[in-house]
Amino acid sequence: MSIGKRLNELKKNELFGRFYGIMLLLLLAVFFWAVFKILTPDNFGTLEKTYYYLQSSIIYSVGACGFYFIVVMGLFDFSIGANVVLSAIIGVTLSKQFGYPGLLIGAVLCGLAIGLCNGVIYAKLRIPSMIVTVGLMLIFECVAYFASGGEKQSLDPSLQFFGHAPGNMILALIAFLLTFFILKYTKIGTYCYAIGSDEYVAKNMGINVNKYKILGFVLLHGFVGIMAVLSVSFGTSMTALTGMATMSRNFTPLMGTFFGLAFRKYGTPVTAMVIGEFIISIIFNGFIALGAPTTIQNVVTGAALLLIVAITTKPAKGAVVK
Amino acid sequence: MGETILVAENICKSFGITKAVRDVSMTFARGEIHGLIGENGSGKSTFVSMLCGIHSIDSGRFLLNGEELHVKNQVEANDKGVSIIVQEMGTLSGLTVAENIFLGREDRFVKYGIKNTTAMNREAARLLDKYGFGHIDAAAMIDHYHFEDRKLIEIVKATYFDPQIVVIDETTTALSQNGREELYKHMKRIRDEGKTIIFISHDLTEVIEFTDNISVLRDGSYIDTVKSSDASEDELKRLMVGREIASKYYRTDYGEPVSGETVLSVQGVSVPERINGISFELYKGEILGFGGLSECGMHEVGKAIFGASYDRTGSVTLADGTKIDSIPTAIRHSIAYASKDRDNESIIIYDSIRDNIILPSINDLAEKRILRKKKLNEFANRYAKLISVKMTGVDQFVSNLSGGNKQKVVLARWIGRDSDIIVLDSPTRGIDVKVKADIYALMSELKAKGKSIIMISEEIQELLGMCDRIIIMKNGVINGEFKRDERLSEEDLIAKMV
Amino acid sequence: MTEKTIVEEKITLMKVKHILSNSRLRDLLPLFGLIIIVAVFAVMTDMSIIEARSINLILSQVYVLMIASTGVFLVMTIGGLDFSQGSILGISSIVISYLSFYSIPLAVIAGILAGALIGACNGFFHVKFKIPSFIVTICTMYLFRGLCAYMTTDAPVAAKITITELNLTWLKISLTVAVLLIVYFIFTFTKLGTCLKAIGAGETAARFSGIRTNLTKFLIFTAAGAITGFAAFLNVIKVGSITATAGNQLETMILIALVLGGLPISGGARVRFSNIVIGTLIYCVLNNGLVMLGYDTAIQQFIKGTIFLIVVALTIDKKSLHIIK
Repeated sequence: MSIGKRLNELKKNELFGRFYGIMLLLLLAVFFWAVFKILTPDNFGTLEKTYYYLQSSIIYSVGACGFYFIVVMGLFDFSIGANVVLSAIIGVTLSKQFGYPGLLIGAVLCGLAIGLCNGVIYAKLRIPSMIVTVGLMLIFECVAYFASGGEKQSLDPSLQFFGHAPGNMILALIAFLLTFFILKYTKIGTYCYAIGSDEYVAKNMGINVNKYKILGFVLLHGFVGIMAVLSVSFGTSMTALTGMATMSRNFTPLMGTFFGLAFRKYGTPVTAMVIGEFIISIIFNGFIALGAPTTIQNVVTGAALLLIVAITTKPAKGAVVK
Repeated sequence: MGETILVAENICKSFGITKAVRDVSMTFARGEIHGLIGENGSGKSTFVSMLCGIHSIDSGRFLLNGEELHVKNQVEANDKGVSIIVQEMGTLSGLTVAENIFLGREDRFVKYGIKNTTAMNREAARLLDKYGFGHIDAAAMIDHYHFEDRKLIEIVKATYFDPQIVVIDETTTALSQNGREELYKHMKRIRDEGKTIIFISHDLTEVIEFTDNISVLRDGSYIDTVKSSDASEDELKRLMVGREIASKYYRTDYGEPVSGETVLSVQGVSVPERINGISFELYKGEILGFGGLSECGMHEVGKAIFGASYDRTGSVTLADGTKIDSIPTAIRHSIAYASKDRDNESIIIYDSIRDNIILPSINDLAEKRILRKKKLNEFANRYAKLISVKMTGVDQFVSNLSGGNKQKVVLARWIGRDSDIIVLDSPTRGIDVKVKADIYALMSELKAKGKSIIMISEEIQELLGMCDRIIIMKNGVINGEFKRDERLSEEDLIAKMV
Repeated sequence: MTEKTIVEEKITLMKVKHILSNSRLRDLLPLFGLIIIVAVFAVMTDMSIIEARSINLILSQVYVLMIASTGVFLVMTIGGLDFSQGSILGISSIVISYLSFYSIPLAVIAGILAGALIGACNGFFHVKFKIPSFIVTICTMYLFRGLCAYMTTDAPVAAKITITELNLTWLKISLTVAVLLIVYFIFTFTKLGTCLKAIGAGETAARFSGIRTNLTKFLIFTAAGAITGFAAFLNVIKVGSITATAGNQLETMILIALVLGGLPISGGARVRFSNIVIGTLIYCVLNNGLVMLGYDTAIQQFIKGTIFLIVVALTIDKKSLHIIK
């Protein structure tokens, strides 16, 4: 057998597949790190700085994990950003009275509630998820605005444990382990893939598709609630804005999700999402270290994501892609 | 064979205006392999799908062990002891083998919401071994296995919980000889354990050999049940088709010569993993048939001629030397194609009858690029009426038509185009007998006008009845060629197919 | 309730459902919606919404949105989505501004070309790599939004001062109507419309009918970019200088407008050109009506979001979406 064929055979083996996938990702990470290190050795890439890049990326990785459940089923949600704002504000408000429990429980519960709301409205109205979540985003932005009275909500300095190491790493790690566990060891993990693969057959197999779609939304927004805690702890405050300003928050987590989808066949979606966001963070900060204006960030994000998806998407010949 | 286990009482089912199953009543016994046969569109698949919970019953009921059977989906049917191995793919990509086997019934491995994957995999492996499919790895992604292995996994999935009734719906057509042997083995085992199998197949030889009794459906109605040991193929065919129609169904001429003028020349055409080195000529005014098992590659040949195949090598050339390499070229040079996958390829179901009929001819219907609605409507109406499409108007969406009428719209568009070479793939599949007769009559008319037709079909009878020449394919290559002859029989063709 | 009344109720319900599913009636629903909304606001604002001043104000927001929506309409007919419209508007506006100092007609052509280029980029990645259009256009949105921000980092890009002299109502109306008429004509009276609807309704079958689906898809995305490039001209003559947020969220506004106008999300054979006009009008009337009522911006948005959800729920054609994702 030629080397190519041998490699393909090996890739099918579960353990090797995992190993191969992770190695590929780590190689990519090291590659980009090296590129920027060479270009600007003083401004970029010290151990401390790299650790910082990692920390800023895990906030989005948590969101990416939540997004994964939905995207695997073929659904989408534009209200993630609005959720981050709303849950963060609720969390901060409650933290003033109840401290850390208030922050954590408030944000996550708020997220779960939003998820339930989205899921039920989607299922009852039978509108495509992309459309219905645009409407919901508009509504949640306003709710956040009303809840905060339009004022900036600041997190008390004594409550910023989750804004830096080790607090943020611990919380993020819990989120990752949870994702891994749910995907591998619960029914919903299997059913998410089943519904995404062929919803009609899944329904015939007795899977209550609507119930699991709603569950998917709840999971998504629960994780976004965790992401909100990390976000507001890191940035120390949150202001509610209307006018669809939260749309921009939707897309960075989405990039991690695409990494997860692309590397799913190697059996390591969660790791792929974490390393993927890390790679994006390296690229961002690399450009900043090079002295590029912050506006360049978006250019880089867009181009990087486009390239990654272009390289990793391999639909069947003749498949219809909209 | 024991006492009655399953009774069907006056089962009826309609899809829109099409009556798929009309008042069917039958009984099945314990420890029996009961064959169910009928032409395409006879209602057999619909009938069993109601038993298995895939479709709802309009009226009538099933009695299992004397109790009425109420199931809303396959898993409920499974719980009651009824299961089915479907014709198409019954497993889901993206899941492991074990997950597929236990899909919908994982609860025995779930404690406090946590799924014990290791236990599930272990149990799946044990079952695979027990069935003699040890070469399949329970923990691997099912996508690693090809169609036949996935069917074997489906056999495990459908029978591991010892159902009382197993429906096998046209599964053998997609399997190789090995796969069939495996299936027969398990069928016999299940029957000897006192269970019942309802076996649906088009292969009459196989049905006669492996079943105890055979029931026949025609046009949605129950006709008769015969003992397999007493049955003959001819008698079964008579029951399936009905004697009055059989004689005037197909062409009645024999021995008429076909012109020697080549209209299409196919040389060394190959499509990776589908067909290899196909070469033949098509003559003017000829009806050329292609036959073989489902996966023999003949369907790909149709696509290749139309320019719709991916990675095709070799050449498809017209008499004037034009090479056909793409669909627009094919259509422009008067080639038509009606795909086996009617709803996805031949016709746009969520669009109007008019749009469907005018599309291939749209360039010619425009005067200086401008289309006039009146002219389009006239065009569509003319051809729809020519073939007697049953519709409320050309604005009606194709999705509301019956299978037979959909196929008529497909043909209307190519007649409107006045194509000289018409490739028909499974043109009468799933269509009721009256429309079938119309289509055969149409084919004869076209032949008389000097058009050339390629007919790809899995129904041997219609190949024998309609074609001037029949090419048989096997495993992607041409394996035999037959000229039209009254003495030609099914066995002659089948001998080259398997 | 007696059995008879229950049965009667069921029959009336079925009749209502039958009426709603009649496609002719369904086509008229958005128009009813527009009339209802104008009527509601007329009452609530004591008729001041139909005064000339308000109508002018509403119209001034309509032009760019309506022209850009025309392009997206074509894209959505084939079942695609375009989220990069706002960025296209931004970049094209900048290009027009730069070149306005040399010659206005040249600037307009350059703006159209710039838009077409970005659209072609979208089309290329979508068709060649088979990436879903919403992903491709989200990426290009990001990319060109960043570029736009970069080009306006130090200061907004100013066009030639005199360009705002062209901000004349009659000019804007004629240009908008011209675009609408041209696209309407091409869509309805040439084979383009039929082909686009076919691709949206069943792409594989459309391909088997002889339509060059890949080429068509690529060209449509390019056209959508070009049309928005032209809309950028109307934007520049109105604002005179371009900031980093030019065209922000335009794509979402277009989506909402088209949906309110009754456009089926997956495109296909049930699209109607009127979706563009009526949808944009409903959106702008809604926007301005809420402002005139003096509501807080947050409350306005809340109402908009709710109305959007209600309208979509009522008008979406569930039968043609066999599986809803």
